[in-house]
This record gives sequence, C-alpha cells and structure tokens, in this order.
Amino acid sequence: MLYLGTLFYIAVLLINAVAILSEDRFLARLNLSPSSYDPAFGTGTDASVKAKVINLIGSVRTLMRAPLIIANTIIILYELALG
Amino acid sequence: MQRNTYGQSPPLHHPVPQHVSTVPQLRSPPPPPGSAQSQQQGYAPTGQQGNPYQQQGGTSGNVFGAYGQFMNDPTAQVAAQFGQTAFKQGQEYVEQNIGRYVNVAALKHYFNVSNSYVINKLFLVLFPWRHKGWSRKQAVGANGQEGWYLSPRDDINSPDMYIPVMGLVTYVLLSTLIAGLKGAFNPELLGVTATTGLSVVIVEIIALKLGCYLLSISSQSQLFDLIAYSGYKFVGIIVTITVAEILNGGKGTGGWIGWAVFAYTFSANALFLLRSLKYVLLPETNGQPSGPMQTDSRAKRNQRTQFLFFYSYIVQLFFMWVLTRA
Repeated sequence: MLYLGTLFYIAVLLINAVAILSEDRFLARLNLSPSSYDPAFGTGTDASVKAKVINLIGSVRTLMRAPLIIANTIIILYELALG
Repeated sequence: MQRNTYGQSPPLHHPVPQHVSTVPQLRSPPPPPGSAQSQQQGYAPTGQQGNPYQQQGGTSGNVFGAYGQFMNDPTAQVAAQFGQTAFKQGQEYVEQNIGRYVNVAALKHYFNVSNSYVINKLFLVLFPWRHKGWSRKQAVGANGQEGWYLSPRDDINSPDMYIPVMGLVTYVLLSTLIAGLKGAFNPELLGVTATTGLSVVIVEIIALKLGCYLLSISSQSQLFDLIAYSGYKFVGIIVTITVAEILNGGKGTGGWIGWAVFAYTFSANALFLLRSLKYVLLPETNGQPSGPMQTDSRAKRNQRTQFLFFYSYIVQLFFMWVLTRA
C-alpha cells in the first residue's frame, strides 16, 4: 500500500512543487515573495505567520534546488531503466 | 561427589556446569598479567594435553570452560577467540557510530520504566478524564535551580519510549495476524504495515515541527518527547482493532461497534495529548503585567491554542483512521 519508495516519490514531488513556482508571476501576485517582504526593525524571527511562510518558501527554494536536481535525475533514470 | 577429581570448585560467579565430563579438559593458558589466579585454578583439571597449548594467549580459557566438551580442538579455540575479538571490535565500532547519530544516553532515559508505570500509563491513555495534575516533575539541581525532568519510573506524566515502541510492534503483528485470520496474508504485509506506522509518526512530527516554526513556538522539549507522544495513539488503535475483530468479525470500518470503540479511543487519546502537550506547546502564563506584550501575545496565544486543538483532534483523527484501516 504505502511503500518506502512511494513515500520518497511523494516527498520529492511536493518539494518540486514548491521549487518550481514562478517568483514574479505567481508569488508576487499573492504577496508571498521575499521581495515584497520587509521586516521591521524590531521583530526579527518573532514575526507573523505570513512572514514565516514567506521565509520558509524562500529558504526551501534556495536550499533544495541542488538536491532536487539530483533526486529527480535518479528517479528519471530509475523509471527509464526499470520501468 | 564427582568434584573430588578436580582440584577445587569452579568460581561461583561463572556459570560452569557441574557435571562430570569424561573428556579431558585442556589446561587453561597462562593468565595474562593482572588477571585473577582463582580462575586458572578453577579449571586446573587432569588435562593431558596441557603444555603445547599454553601459548594461546588471551583469556580464552575462562570463557570456554563451559564448553569444555567440544572445544578441545585447538583450531576451534583459535577460531572462537578470533570470533570473540572480531565481535568485540564490531561492537565498539557500532557503539561509536550509533553514539554519534543517536543520543544513546537520552534514549536510555526513556526506557527507564517500571511495571507499575506501564500499567498506570496505559490506563491513563485509555481513560484520561479523571487524572489531575499533568505537569511533569523536575528534579532540583545542585544550586536549587530547576534541573532535568524525572525519568518515567518516578513520574507518571513523563513520556517514555517503551510504550510507543511496543505499541508499534504490537500493531504490526496484530494487523498481520488479523489479515492472516481472514486468509489475506502475504509476507509483504509485515513490511508495509511497519512502514505505514513509521511514516505516520514521521509525517506527524514534521507537521508538528512545521506548525511550531510557523507559529514561532519555541518548543523546549526534545524530539523524543514528541515521538513518544505521537506513539501513544498505537495503544488506542490496538484496542480498537482487537475489539472490532472480536465483537464484529468485520473491521473498524465494518459495523458500528468498531466505530464506537474508535470514537472512544480517539477522544481519549485526543484529551491525553491535549493535556500533555499543553505544557509543551503553549507558553506559560507568567503573569507579567506588561501591557503591549500581553496584547501581542494574546492573538498568538489564541493561534497556538487553536493549533493545539487542531493538532490534537483533527490530525490525530486522520492518522488514527489511516492506521485502523489496514
């Protein structure tokens, strides 16, 4: 039913979804891009939920791009070779 | 008695069989410097092949005294000693590496349980409504400051890892047993159920950590606490599956008896989690009379309370349903 490989696929697909969102067309429309966020001088990490979500999306995109490329390549090769 | 043929009685701390062995025992090798003399004397029998085999260094004579009947072959002894050394090295290697990834000392704290603790905790998970006082006790440190939390042996409210681990294993075995009773067993089912259980725990922890980050809850409790709390639902799931199987023949999704038991265990588990996680997730109301701080954190406190409710009820409902389905 729910094997370990399936879990891996699910995780990779979800992170893919976060990574390929277009920043200026989509995220800026929803005001979720890091460019439209300007932290005031006192709050820092104790900011609102929206600020945190913006931070989280930005950091996921920055950090997970390289491992995602590797993971996607592995999955593609696996699916091609072994069906 | 038969022991007159030997020199002295074997040392009491070492389990040596007391019966007569007609095969002549090898004299034990000369003891390494510093080892006790009594061990050698314990095995000083009427061995005829003593001297040529005394060059086998090390302490192999003591361990294999119990196997004196078939370990007379010197090559077997050498092989056994080699195996012993290899095993020791492997053990050290494993200890070093596992000690780097998993904090073994902290893990031991969670398995420090007693029988009465287990029984009381199981009763508490299944019937949490009458329990008063959910805060964990803390041991006072040396200077009178708050030290560390008490281990589960002394504190009924402290989370442990014994019940969740046993719950997970019992759940895997029980659901494969029930599948086997229905005639739908294949060995893959064991792995699939174990993976499902583990992945539920992992996904829950990720969701909880995500929620904590988004709401800027500085959770001071360790990761193992959260894993332990997440593993307590297996108790309710086991009860649900067992009762549904006995009374119903069908499954939890079958007749309404199964659903009734599921609803009961789910609400018990939710209340248990709510009361326990209150101290973990929600900030303590210290009674600070500062004005702007208070109003700022009121909205946050509402958010956190809502998050706690959401987590305890809805998330748990979903996962418990997933686990009682298979």
